[in-house]
Amino acid sequence: MPTRHLIIGGGTAGLNAIRTIREEDRGASEITLVSAERPYSRMVLPYYLGQSIAESHVFTATPASLAAWKVKTLIGRRAAALDPEANALTLDDGTRVEYDDCLIATGSRAARPPIPGADGPGLHSFWTLEEARAVIAAVTPGRRVVMVGAGFISFTILNAILSRGARLTIVEVAPRILPRMVDAGCAELVAGWLTRHGVAIRTGVTVTRIEERRGTRILHVKKGEALPADVVIMATGIRTNLEWLRDSGIDMAEGGQGGILVDDHLRSSIRNVYAAGDVARGRNLITGAPEVHAIEPTAQEHGRVVGANMAGRDVAYRGSLLMNIVEVCHLDIASFGQWDDAAAEVYTAVRPDRSQYRKLLFHGGRLTGAMICGPAKDIWTTNDVGILKGLVQSGVDLSAWKSHLERNPFDIKPAFMATHNPGRLLPQTVLGRPSSSPDLPQSVNA
Amino acid sequence: MRVLALLPDRCTGCLRCELACSYVQTGSFQPAKSVIRVSPFEGYTSYAPYTCTQCAEGWCMTACPVGAIRINAAGAKDVLDDRCVGCKLCTIACPYGTIFYDADTHKAYKCNLCDGAPACVEACPTQAIVYREAETADWLGDFAAERTARLLAQEVA
Ligand SMILES: Cc1cc2nc3c(=O)[nH]c(=O)nc-3n(C[C@H](O)[C@H](O)[C@H](O)COP(=O)(O)OP(=O)(O)OC[C@H]3O[C@@H](n4cnc5c(N)ncnc54)[C@H](O)[C@@H]3O)c2cc1C
Ligand code: SF4
Ligand code: SF4
Repeated sequence: MPTRHLIIGGGTAGLNAIRTIREEDRGASEITLVSAERPYSRMVLPYYLGQSIAESHVFTATPASLAAWKVKTLIGRRAAALDPEANALTLDDGTRVEYDDCLIATGSRAARPPIPGADGPGLHSFWTLEEARAVIAAVTPGRRVVMVGAGFISFTILNAILSRGARLTIVEVAPRILPRMVDAGCAELVAGWLTRHGVAIRTGVTVTRIEERRGTRILHVKKGEALPADVVIMATGIRTNLEWLRDSGIDMAEGGQGGILVDDHLRSSIRNVYAAGDVARGRNLITGAPEVHAIEPTAQEHGRVVGANMAGRDVAYRGSLLMNIVEVCHLDIASFGQWDDAAAEVYTAVRPDRSQYRKLLFHGGRLTGAMICGPAKDIWTTNDVGILKGLVQSGVDLSAWKSHLERNPFDIKPAFMATHNPGRLLPQTVLGRPSSSPDLPQSVNA
Repeated sequence: MRVLALLPDRCTGCLRCELACSYVQTGSFQPAKSVIRVSPFEGYTSYAPYTCTQCAEGWCMTACPVGAIRINAAGAKDVLDDRCVGCKLCTIACPYGTIFYDADTHKAYKCNLCDGAPACVEACPTQAIVYREAETADWLGDFAAERTARLLAQEVA
């Protein structure tokens, strides 16, 4: 009998696992996909909001492409309980699905803070396609949009909201913007840039209550004047979708909010149950510590490693590198690895007139984190992002270059080349084999 | 597979490859938009061209959330413009720093080996870039190490 693989969650990690299984086994196994939503890429939603792509562009699979991969689908169904002893999953409608091995890839959802009125109707989150559709309907020219939270997700939709002709105010409880993506110096530079581009930023502001008054929402704050808004978008963090595993016996950190504990093959405490993406507490490439990295590249790599292992290969995962890039009003901001590390030796440089910022963090000769900010038009910004990633990823010894980099944190390319990074990186891969072109649907109207 | 062998000892820094590349890739002569980029060494006395290795696993290709990067007939990873949404994920995924973002078109772009007839090879008067059957390799490491040794020695002194 062919092996029965069960994939729970059809997002980034789930789809990468399916594609990899099929690349490895050419259709020999049985695959069942259970997913609450149709497969699509969440990180592409901002471009749909900004009207640069059609809705059909966000989908990563169609009924036809899934059929071509020989995947049985249960879309629109939720996993409700896992019984690892019986190797069976129960769905929300009571259906039972048996498996030989399974992948948990149910991702996260947007979370709301416990503020009175914050869960009321008419307030938006921006995490799912359905939520995106609601925001698209609400954000129209001239409307006053208040975004609560100045984190990465707010920043990914900032351009799109402006391009729809709305007036945008961002409210953040922390004393500065992007508290989990950049340091204070960079945040100041970005905040200045955004203010010059017409975005109102209010940091250090605690929203205490949200009420509705004749179609207008009023955000009451701890100190200062209340803010009126036509549209409120809550971008106040995420929670993992793991409640349904509570009685499964699978080891999780912080009751699930810290993710499922996994080994270097992304197996959970139960050998034939894997976890990947936002729900997996996987290895950090730089520190080796187990951590949730709720980012797209981690979900992709996790998914590919699980897919290969499910298909019978023996692939150990070296770990994921925390990395983000976002462009707001033509300013690029990116960070890599352990950029927020008080124990590191830190070199920074600012060119305030050109809105450029660099930060390099070292432990001994090893670059463990980096940050880069600058106008997207400036070729040195875009030139160096990948090189910084390569230096952090390869873990090369830069001892001989440290004094040069301390003086010139912008001049990284000669150090990259002279320390033979391309040669070091060529054998560093995820699956150790050539990839084929991704088999994604080209036109998605089905 | 045929790859771009980069032979820095032959490079004179004339930048004709950058001109040719930018013209083929973007339709205008703008070296700033070339995907092969020449770096100066030793205070602009020697030079080396650098571009995508067409690495086998394709970090850029596996990172693209919408499958906009494909392998073309020449075996190169190539960006499909009408599919690319301009999210830049590929630019932080490629650890070689050889896929770029065009701020005018809002798309990523990279070396696609000109579908098998690389313009940079044609343009280089000294054969510092050769299109031939080879394993992709670290073409510049030894050259760059040698040409930066003096700079580093001076700085330490
Ligand atoms: C607007 C936005 C922009 C983003 N931008 C970026 C970016 O620029 N860079 C970046 O690195 N990351 C970005 N991210 C984050 C990135 O999208 C996620 O990290 C990634 O999608 C995680 O993949 P995943 O497979 O773990 O989960 P998801 O892609 O969230 O997939 C989870 C799947 O599981 C399904 N599911 C949930 N519960 C159940 C259940 N009980 N039963 C069955 N199915 C279930 C869901 O419907 C979904 O299909 C962004 C996210 C958003 C929302
Ligand atoms: S651009 Fe980078 S990741 Fe993509 S094929 Fe070239 S070297 Fe590999
Ligand atoms: S910028 Fe374009 S090619 Fe690169 S990852 Fe995003 S969509 Fe794909």
